[in-house]
Amino acid sequence: MTVATKFKSGRTGTGDAYVSDHSGSPHARFMRLTSYALAPLGALSAWWILGLAGKSFDGVRAEIGRPIPALVLLAFGVVGMIHARKGMDDIIEDYVHDGALKAWAFIANLWASRLIAALWAFAILLIAAPK
Amino acid sequence: MADADIDRLAARRPLSPHLTIFKPILTMMMSIAHRITGAGLYAGIALLTLFLLGAAIGGGAFAAVAWIASGFIGNLIILLIVWAIFHHLLGGVRHALWDRGLYMDPQGRELLAQGTLVGGILLTLLVYILKTLAS
Repeated sequence: MTVATKFKSGRTGTGDAYVSDHSGSPHARFMRLTSYALAPLGALSAWWILGLAGKSFDGVRAEIGRPIPALVLLAFGVVGMIHARKGMDDIIEDYVHDGALKAWAFIANLWASRLIAALWAFAILLIAAPK
Repeated sequence: MADADIDRLAARRPLSPHLTIFKPILTMMMSIAHRITGAGLYAGIALLTLFLLGAAIGGGAFAAVAWIASGFIGNLIILLIVWAIFHHLLGGVRHALWDRGLYMDPQGRELLAQGTLVGGILLTLLVYILKTLAS
C-alpha cells in the first residue's frame, strides 16, 4: 500500500507523490501464514461443501451437523475470509484508481468480509451446536 | 505548470504493455486464474453463507436459498467452488515453492503451471468420485 505525503518531486505537485508505507512484506507474510492453515482446511472443506450439492434440508444438516465437519468448515470460513479480505485489498489497489472510490472500497471490503465470516460462523453454530 | 497541462501530459504518457500486448503464456494465465479463483471464492463463500443460514433457520428460508446447492445452477456453483478451492490451493503451493527458490527455472515454472491447471481439475474429479462412492 502507498500513502500520500507532503513530499514534492520535480514531476508532481505537493501531496501527489506516493511513497511506500512498508506494509508490503508483512502483507505477503500474512497471506502465506494464513494459507498454511487454509491448505488443509480448504481441502477438507471441499469434501463437505461438495456433499451439500443436491441435498434435502435434513441431508444438509446431517452433512455438516457433526463436530469435525462443523469445526473445520467454521475455521475455513473465518480464516478464509480474513485471507480473502487481504487478497481483495490487493485487487482493489490494482484496479480501482479513483482515490475516494478506493477508500470506500477498502471499507466496504473490510465490513463485507467481517459480515460474511460472522454469519458463516453463526449459521454453522446454529446447525451443529448441541441442543 | 497548470493542472490542465499536467493532465494532458499524463494522458500522453504511454501505459506499460498489458494484456492486449503480451503473448498469453501458461504461467501468466495461471497467475490470472489464481486471482479470479480467489475473488470467486469470496463470492462463493458469501453464497454458501446464505445457503447455510437458510439451512440453519429452516422452513421458508431454506426453500428460498435451496437453488444455491441444488438443480443445475446449484450443482454448477458447488462444483465451481470446489474446483476454485483446489486451483487456488495449488496456486498457493506453487508460491510456497517459489518462496523457497525451487522450480524457478523455465522448465520448473512451466511444470508448476501445468500442475496447477491439471491438478485442480483432477482433485475436483477425485473428490467428486470418492464422494459419489461414499454416499
